[in-house]
Amino acid sequence: MQAEISTKQTATHSKPSGNAFASKFAKSMFITVSVIVFLSFIATRQFTHVDLNLYGYMVGTIVFIGGFFYRFIAWGERPPTKIFIKKGIKLLFRKSTAKTSVDHLATYNFIWNRGIYRWTQHIMMGWGVILSCMVTFPLVFGWMYFTMPENGFYTVVFMGINLMTVKADGILAFFFYNALNFSAVMVITGVSMVFYRRLKNMQARAEQKFMYDFLPLYLLLFISITGLSLTFQNVVLHGWGQPAMSLIHQWGVIITLIYLPFGKLAHIPFRPLSVFARNYREHYMEQSKKECKVCGTSFVSTEQSQDVVNVLGVNNMEFETKEGFHLAELCLPCRRKYRIAQFSGFPTHEVKVKEANQNAKG
Amino acid sequence: MEKKRLYLELENCIGCRSCLAACTQCGGHEERNRNYVYDVNPLVNRQTMPLMCLHCVNPACARSCPAQAIQIHETGAVLSALVEKCIGCQNCTIACPYGIPKFDEEQNLMYKCDLCIDRTKDGIPPMCASVCPSNTLQWLSDSEIEAKQKQFNLDNGKWVTSLPYLEGETNVKVNLPGILQGTTKLF
Repeated sequence: MQAEISTKQTATHSKPSGNAFASKFAKSMFITVSVIVFLSFIATRQFTHVDLNLYGYMVGTIVFIGGFFYRFIAWGERPPTKIFIKKGIKLLFRKSTAKTSVDHLATYNFIWNRGIYRWTQHIMMGWGVILSCMVTFPLVFGWMYFTMPENGFYTVVFMGINLMTVKADGILAFFFYNALNFSAVMVITGVSMVFYRRLKNMQARAEQKFMYDFLPLYLLLFISITGLSLTFQNVVLHGWGQPAMSLIHQWGVIITLIYLPFGKLAHIPFRPLSVFARNYREHYMEQSKKECKVCGTSFVSTEQSQDVVNVLGVNNMEFETKEGFHLAELCLPCRRKYRIAQFSGFPTHEVKVKEANQNAKG
Repeated sequence: MEKKRLYLELENCIGCRSCLAACTQCGGHEERNRNYVYDVNPLVNRQTMPLMCLHCVNPACARSCPAQAIQIHETGAVLSALVEKCIGCQNCTIACPYGIPKFDEEQNLMYKCDLCIDRTKDGIPPMCASVCPSNTLQWLSDSEIEAKQKQFNLDNGKWVTSLPYLEGETNVKVNLPGILQGTTKLF
């Protein structure tokens, strides 16, 4: 078995024709960095409007992309993940994709159903972070910048196009300047709510670990507080200590970016897979339903049932029964009754009685 | 502290469903039970048996999870899905050979027995074993389980379930009913 795997691996590695890149990683990195550089070239009007004050973020982002692809490609190689990514991309243009994406990625309806408190903290942190990313990265790569061709008016340049002209002390400009302050307040509110929950909730207290659950919170808090402090130093202290704090803030952001693909925050880039999974379930349920081998109820799509059987096979798990079916081909109640049958020696699953209520109302 | 594990003596079950009710009361279970009690032959007699997550050493649920949402605790407990990672594909419910994971459509989240990890990580028995009035569910160390084996004086390889009664090695040990072990147990 081992030998078989290693020959296979050598075979993939020594495939010379048609492969300009040594690995998927190299290819992804090259394409992504090229796209960013190209976009910056256009947006900064041939690199004439690069804000070099932000170059640390630029380097940090490239390192982040390296970590992201390293983690994401390794993750995508897992047999079940591979299936969902492959079939998810194929099903991306389903009618329901837009609605599901908004539900899962923007309004977090499923978290609302887990509790309004948790939803609030998640909206605060999630949208706080998204908002600040939408402000920061365009500025870092020069996709967006401000010019002042006429005194008292800023021109917002987006991707090299003069998007709009705003009054420098107008209300719109006020929101532009303070977008990161608002997002910082949102993140701090969210993080504080999370801390409170993590101190009070017994399950959270049982499972939480510093590195996994608390470190990302401290990092977000660090970024938000140092960021707010920059504004405070500019407005109240007339810029005292601002250069030092700006480096401290930058350091915090870069550390968080590098950490992001490897800890709890990795669920942010991975979350779109839930849209893939929903599409996959909906699409293949419409195609053909798997009927339980014992009671005939359809409980899952034929496709998913087969995919799971294959994935288990890859993991050397063959749940074949002596009756000639795979356990994944039984509906859940029948599968449980089948186990009881193995325990008792009496074929419980063949008795045509609906399972008793299994949901206690404690 | 010696490591303890959940130990099931199936034929003791009287069908009171205390384990189900207790499960809902565990701190982290959000008032939903994650275990089952089945009638063995519902039209004929009242014999029941509990069905718990057996916490496989090589869990099919975790193997089939595309999001790596099902983690294995250092105590060997196969935990409920991590809420931030579970993508709601329900692969685990199809993969589990015992049909244990439950799925909440509203929350788009799988939940399953985590062996009351907030308790068992500190050596406190899980809720189900704490309340079971008939000693069907027990929280025992390996040496205690061995002592049980001696007490029943069984040496026929059918003491605790393994293949063919289960699909693989599990952290929860199950004592089959005497009838399958070819003996009458004395209590």
